[in-house]
Amino acid sequence: MKKHYIAGLVLALLIATASVAFVHGVARAGDYPTAGAAIGQPIANFTLPDVNGNKHSLASLKGSKGTVLIFIAVQCPVSNAYNERMEKLAQDYKARGVNVIGINSNATESADDVKHHAAEHNLTFPILKDNNNKIADQLGAEHTPEAYLLDSGGKLVYRGRIDNARNAAMVQTSDLREAIDATIEGKPVTKTTAAAFGCSIKRAS
Amino acid sequence: MMLQRSLFLLLILSSVLSSSAAPVQSRQHRAARSVPAVREIDLEGLKKLLLRDPKNAHPLLVNFWATWCEPCREEFPDLVKIDKDYRKKGLNFIAISIDDIQDIHSAVPKFLREQHATMPAYLLNVPDQEPAIKAVDSEWEGDMPATFLYDQAGNMVYKHKGLIKPAELRAEIDKLVSGNPAGGK
Repeated sequence: MKKHYIAGLVLALLIATASVAFVHGVARAGDYPTAGAAIGQPIANFTLPDVNGNKHSLASLKGSKGTVLIFIAVQCPVSNAYNERMEKLAQDYKARGVNVIGINSNATESADDVKHHAAEHNLTFPILKDNNNKIADQLGAEHTPEAYLLDSGGKLVYRGRIDNARNAAMVQTSDLREAIDATIEGKPVTKTTAAAFGCSIKRAS
Repeated sequence: MMLQRSLFLLLILSSVLSSSAAPVQSRQHRAARSVPAVREIDLEGLKKLLLRDPKNAHPLLVNFWATWCEPCREEFPDLVKIDKDYRKKGLNFIAISIDDIQDIHSAVPKFLREQHATMPAYLLNVPDQEPAIKAVDSEWEGDMPATFLYDQAGNMVYKHKGLIKPAELRAEIDKLVSGNPAGGK
């Protein structure tokens, strides 16, 4: 009798656990894409126009030791909080063989907007205009600023935030810099993804 | 001499009275200005909010927003309407701002006041955003706005990034509240 009772209890527990897991599994997503580039996978070459309409391929802009793609915005206050840090990143690593490329995928911001914004904030690294957010879709980029670090072979080794804090005075972990440093030294990146709050990319409808 | 002393005492008394009354008045004034009160939470506070009290189980809607986030501001009137329509039907709704902590008594309550928002409001103040984002949803990368719906048992049943689609969200809430079709649309 006692055995039956325990068996029944275990069964009830299993059913309860399974049902909770099931409901968790079916949390219906509205607009919640999760596809995108996976760590360790190569990023296919692409060609995009810069703010003057001149086309550039990823292959032509990549660095000998690595390449950083950063999805940026004109109007997003989070992206704008990183303008100086992004420019410094580009300057610091250029000589070390890592190139920074900005990508603007916002349908709400024109190439002209991007051009003026870059001039106003002294952004000297190339910025490409991702019309119809093709590259954002290909990589699964969701917000600005969001960085993708490719190693010298073009494989994705890090994706996510630049560092832990929008406010430069509060930075404790420079996740992107740590990933770049490891990549330059030929070491594996220990933290391959890191999230932060940012503005969602305004995709073309 | 007597008159002088009386005047002096009166002066002292009035100054004591006015100095004790002033803070009360300014406190009241501050309280009136700071409605709705925005409460600061850290990572543990966030986790507690997402945990459900089994004795008081209600569906829970959580919206992450910021005053600097344009689509967050754009969708807020729809969220306020949803709160007004569904709170009486048993939906709990909390708004969690990720603005800077210095905005907790200024820009954040100001916006909520302008929106006539009365739902419980919080400001998430964490040194590292990653654990907070992942505590909510491992698939969320932190893009704003983001809205999550939990059933009475605390299971996340719906999530949405970017501008909400009010009809879609209402349909999801309808599945959770008292078998009562959405009223007040």
